[in-house]
Amino acid sequence: MSDTLLEIDNLSVDYETARGDLKALRDISFDVKKGEIVGIVGESGCGKSTLISSILRLTAPNTRFRQGEVRFKGDDLLTMPERQMRNLRGSDISIIFQDPMQTHNPVLSIGRQMVDIQHRTKVSKSEKRSIAAKMLAAVGIPDPEARLKQYPHEFSGGMRQRIAIAMALMSEPDLLIADEPTTALDATLEVQIIERLQELQREFHCAILFISHHLGVIAELCDRVVVMYAGAVVESGDVREIFHDPKHPYTRRLIECDPGHIKERARVLPTIPGEVPDLANLPDGCIFRDRCEQATDRCAQVPPLEKLKEGHFAACWLNHPEESST
Amino acid sequence: MAKSHSELSIILRGVAKDPLGLLGLIIVGMIVFSAIFAAWIVPYDPIGMNIPDRMQAPSLSHWLGTDSLGRDTLSRVIMGGQVALKVALPAVFGAMAIGLTLGMIAGYGPKWLDNFLMLFFDTVRSFPTVMFALAVVALIGPSLQTIVFVVMATSIPTYGRVARTQTLTLRNSEFILAERAMGASMTRILGVHMLPNIIGVLAVLAAMDIPTVIALEAGLSFLGLGVKPPTPSWGALLKDGYALIRQTPWLVVGGGLPIILATLGFTFLGESLRDVVDPKLRKNR
Repeated sequence: MSDTLLEIDNLSVDYETARGDLKALRDISFDVKKGEIVGIVGESGCGKSTLISSILRLTAPNTRFRQGEVRFKGDDLLTMPERQMRNLRGSDISIIFQDPMQTHNPVLSIGRQMVDIQHRTKVSKSEKRSIAAKMLAAVGIPDPEARLKQYPHEFSGGMRQRIAIAMALMSEPDLLIADEPTTALDATLEVQIIERLQELQREFHCAILFISHHLGVIAELCDRVVVMYAGAVVESGDVREIFHDPKHPYTRRLIECDPGHIKERARVLPTIPGEVPDLANLPDGCIFRDRCEQATDRCAQVPPLEKLKEGHFAACWLNHPEESST
Repeated sequence: MAKSHSELSIILRGVAKDPLGLLGLIIVGMIVFSAIFAAWIVPYDPIGMNIPDRMQAPSLSHWLGTDSLGRDTLSRVIMGGQVALKVALPAVFGAMAIGLTLGMIAGYGPKWLDNFLMLFFDTVRSFPTVMFALAVVALIGPSLQTIVFVVMATSIPTYGRVARTQTLTLRNSEFILAERAMGASMTRILGVHMLPNIIGVLAVLAAMDIPTVIALEAGLSFLGLGVKPPTPSWGALLKDGYALIRQTPWLVVGGGLPIILATLGFTFLGESLRDVVDPKLRKNR
C-alpha cells in the first residue's frame, strides 16, 4: 500500500451524448507505484485521453463518472473538493501534452510563463527566474538565461517539448503524466526526448504514466504496460512479459503490426482488420470478438481480467482451459 | 519592464513602416500634442470675446479668422481638440475596461451568466446611440460627463462581444488546458494568460472607435446637446459656422477639417495597429 502512488479501481466513465451514453471507460483497474514508469498503449479512441482527463479531473461537461475510484496517495481524486484537486495539479501531479506547438501561451515569453507556473512557491521573482533557468539547463537548452526572454514561436518543436518537460518537472511532482509526448515529433527527436525523460526520471524519482501508441518507445522506457482496447484493459503486466509472451490476441496483433518488428520488406503493412466497436452501442461478450481470429462460442461472455502469473493479467478466454468456462 | 518597452517599440516601428500608419501616427500625435499643450499654444483666449474684431476673414493675426463674437477660430479649434479627446479617451477606455471584464466573464463563466450578459449587451445595443443620447441629455442636462457616460454605455457591448468571442476561442485552446492541468486558478488563467491574448484586438478596436466618438460628440454639440456653450468644441464651431456659412465660411472649415483629420488619423493608426498586433500577421514578417 505505502509504495502505491496511484490506484485506479474499477473506473467506469461515460459521455452523455445525443445517441445515448458513450461508454468511454469500463472497469479500468491498474496502479502505479512510486518511481515506476507505466506505459499505456492502445489505438486511437481506446480511452487513453479520457483516462488522463479523469485522473486530472479536467473532463468535458458531459462526462459522468459511473463507478470506481481514482486514488492518489490514498485519497479519491473524483470526490475531492475542487480546491484541493487544483492544489494537486501542477504540484504533485504534472502533465506533458502531445503537441508542443500548442501548449505554450503564444504572447508570453517562456521566462514569464516559467515564473508564473511557480505561483505556489513563496520566493522572489529573480529567484524564480534562476530556478527556471536551471530547469531549462537541466532539459538541455543551451544559454538558458537568454532563452528565457524569448517567445514560444522562437523555439523549435523539440525544444518546446523539452521546455514543457522542464515546466512539468519544476514542482518535482510525484506523478508525471506524459500524453503521447513524442507523437508530434520526428523520430530522431523522439529518441532524444525519451532519453532526456529517462535521465530526469532517475534524477527526480517521479513515477511516470506514459501514454503512447508507439510500442518501441514503451518497450524502451517503461517498467510495466497496460494495454487498452475500446475503453477496457485487455492485458497488463511487466514490459518483458507482455512483449515476449502476449496473452491477449489484441496485444499479439498490435505487436505484429508494429513496423519496428517487421523484419522483411512488405508491400502492405499488416493491420488489424475491422474497426473499434461503437462505444455507444456495445456488442455483447468480448469487445475484441469481431476482430479476433481465434474467437469461439465462449467469447459471447465477457472474459474477466484474470491474473495469469505474478505481474501478468489478461482478459481472454484462451488462457482458460475449455472445461472451466461453463 | 524593459521587455514591455521593447514590445511597444516593436509595435511603433511596425506602424511607422506602413506609410498610412505613419501618417495616422503623425496626425494623432499632432492632435494629442496640441490637446495637451492647448493652454500654452493658443494665440488668443478661446472664449474671450472681442466685438470690434468680429467675423474677420483669415489673416496673419487670426489664421482662421474670427466668429460672430470676435473669438479667434484657431484658438477654439485647438481647445476643441482638447475637449474632443477629453470625451473620447475616457469614454473609449472606460468602455473597453468594462466591456473586457464583462466579456471575459461571459466567455469563461457558466452558461447562464453568459446568456444573461449577452441579453444585457443586446438590449443596450438595440438603442440607437443618438436617440439614447438625446434622452439622457434631456434627463440630466448637457455636459461633458453626460456625453462620456452615453458613449461608454453604448459601446460597452461592442467590446464585451469581442472579448467574449476571443475568450470562448481561447478557453478551449490547448495551452489554457495545460495551465489548468498545472493548477492555475480561474483568475490566473483570465488575468495572466487570456488578457494578453485579447488586449491587442481590443486596443485596435479602441483606436478605430475614437473617431466615431469624436464625431458623436461633435454631432451632439452641433445639435446643441453637447458641451455647454462657451466651451469650444468642433461640433459647436460647425453649428456657429453653419448659421453664418455665407458670411464666415472659415468657421465651418475650422470645425469640419479637424473632425475629418482626426477620423482619418485614428482610423489609419488603428488599421496599421491591427496588422502589427495580429500575431498571425506578425509571424510572417
